[in-house]
Amino acid sequence: MAFIDNIGEATIDGVAYVGSLARLAGGAARAVFIEPFRGKPLRWARAIHQAMSVGVEAIPIVSLISFFVGLILALQGAYELRQLGALQLVASAVAVSMTRELGPLMTAIMVIGRSGSAFAAEIGTMKVNEEIDALETMALEPVRFLVAPKFLAMLLMMPCLTTWADFMGVLGGGLFGVTSAGFTWGTYFHATLNALELRDIASGLIKSVMFGLVITAVGCREGFNTGLGSEQVGRSTTSAVVNSIFFVIVVDLVFTAIFYFTAPLK
Amino acid sequence: MNISTRQFENAAIVDVTGDITLYNTPEVRKTLLDLLKEKRVKRVIVNLEKVKYIDSAGVASLVEGLKLSRDLKSGFALYGLSKTTREVLELTRLLKVFEVYDNEEEALSAIPGGAGGAK
Amino acid sequence: MPAQPISKENTSGKSADIAISVRNLRVRYGTREILHGVNFEVPAGETLVIMGGSGCGKSTLLRTLVGLEHPSEGEIWIQGKNFAGMSGTQRDDLRKKMGMSFQSGALFGSMTVGENVALPLREHTPLDESTIDIVVRLKLDQVGLSGFENYMPAQLSGGMKKRAAIARALAMDPEILFFDEPSAGLDPIIAAGLDELILKLKKAFRITIVVVTHELASAFLIADRMILLDKGVVAAKGTPEELRQNTGPRVRQFLDRVPEPEMAAEIDYLQMLTGENPPQRR
Repeated sequence: MAFIDNIGEATIDGVAYVGSLARLAGGAARAVFIEPFRGKPLRWARAIHQAMSVGVEAIPIVSLISFFVGLILALQGAYELRQLGALQLVASAVAVSMTRELGPLMTAIMVIGRSGSAFAAEIGTMKVNEEIDALETMALEPVRFLVAPKFLAMLLMMPCLTTWADFMGVLGGGLFGVTSAGFTWGTYFHATLNALELRDIASGLIKSVMFGLVITAVGCREGFNTGLGSEQVGRSTTSAVVNSIFFVIVVDLVFTAIFYFTAPLK
Repeated sequence: MNISTRQFENAAIVDVTGDITLYNTPEVRKTLLDLLKEKRVKRVIVNLEKVKYIDSAGVASLVEGLKLSRDLKSGFALYGLSKTTREVLELTRLLKVFEVYDNEEEALSAIPGGAGGAK
Repeated sequence: MPAQPISKENTSGKSADIAISVRNLRVRYGTREILHGVNFEVPAGETLVIMGGSGCGKSTLLRTLVGLEHPSEGEIWIQGKNFAGMSGTQRDDLRKKMGMSFQSGALFGSMTVGENVALPLREHTPLDESTIDIVVRLKLDQVGLSGFENYMPAQLSGGMKKRAAIARALAMDPEILFFDEPSAGLDPIIAAGLDELILKLKKAFRITIVVVTHELASAFLIADRMILLDKGVVAAKGTPEELRQNTGPRVRQFLDRVPEPEMAAEIDYLQMLTGENPPQRR
């Protein structure tokens, strides 16, 4: 019976956790999309600052990782395709896997490591130093003040970063195509464009927006839940990373399934 | 709070009625800076007789007016300070910084930049 | 310079106006009740000092007064309004008239001292930047920190952080100020400076002040009224003079600084050590 109790408890905890994420995301969405029209202006300067650190500063690492992932995809794909004598399909294999899946996912993993953890650390430190309490006593709502700019920055930067990652992945695949599969850069890009449909890119971008939402909500939630004492900030940062990866994968699965079952047959 | 301006030969008197607070002081500031900078009034005198209460932000606006008047070599004076207004200026150590008069006649007849007047 | 308390609501300006009224306040964390029904009033313009040993609930009481903890029972009336039962915007409107100085200062580490003081003004008022700059310098001057507006909080000493936090709490010209352990962890000279600052604020601006402290000398210096909290209940209240005359055993123990007696019977002590009879905690 204890086993069943444990399952029950874990389920309740899980539902409560998702509930707290939804509340946070809802509060942030209200602050971004509704309250500016009711005379509570958004902190644009802060949002732009966040967008720089979430997006622009992530470009080098995202570029490098996506380039390598594209190259790896090409190598792995070519290994199979070579047996079938269909090496020319490597361009479309890379293009479709990159835009539909690995572009958004690898970007999300990078952003979790760089920004999700930073959100948890920033808010966690503020919590430990009573700064969150100070905000509240100054009639500044912490969600509007801290979470909303991050939320907006993520919603804008995730699709941008993902698009860039898609492009770098294709470039990585192209390196293999040009050096080992008889493509020129021109024919490789032509093959890529032929293989891609708008749907592939759009589905990846929709995912990336959802990932951005999840990463912000989990990072901030872990920050706000930091216990007393500065060593707790480290714990929050770790859970922010682990939980974000988990929820990103779950959201990825759900949306991939939705896209699969709603896709028209070719 | 209400604010109105009376023009004299070479001075303008700004009459303020009501409390000057965080929320309405930008209006006072705008009037003062406008008189000094745009209208180039030689001497701006603020009538505080009907001001029961002025907070730090209100004081800060008066300081801005004083600063601009010094930059432009024009005059800036206050009169009709209530007890609390006087206390507030004393506590911010500004009572001696401003040119302060008891009433309108004194403020108008005083020689700008003269030694007298400050209390 | 804060308004005379309640001047807007009550133009008659009676000195008997009550700024804070706490009725039968109970607060619990989870299943553990920290405050078991606390009652007191603070007249406008007076300074109330809340004293008590560690863990007596005084910090919880202060956090509840500023709305950081929610009472499980009872009421908090601030300036004639039911603070604990208010909705978001009304509550925020009242909070704009209140200032809180936290034990650690709680300055925003990512902002300069000047930006910290300017923050509530930037967020809540239509003031121009140039006006805000002057207000910030006025407030920093009041706490003796002129010229520090471009320092980061990390560059300040503990006492300076607390003073900067007080400047921030004063930024909006509050009508009620709350201090959590203003002199804890400071050297005696700086602590005395803070006491003087509190006295000046009270005398000059007629702010209602609530101070939580366990520093007896400081408490008797600044208080108009005092409360001694013991294990979540008010053990004594009154003017400093009344508390000095109070003969209640807990009051005497606290004021005369008598240590807790050791556990009476050896057998109880043995049982406590072996875990047979854990001491009762409320």
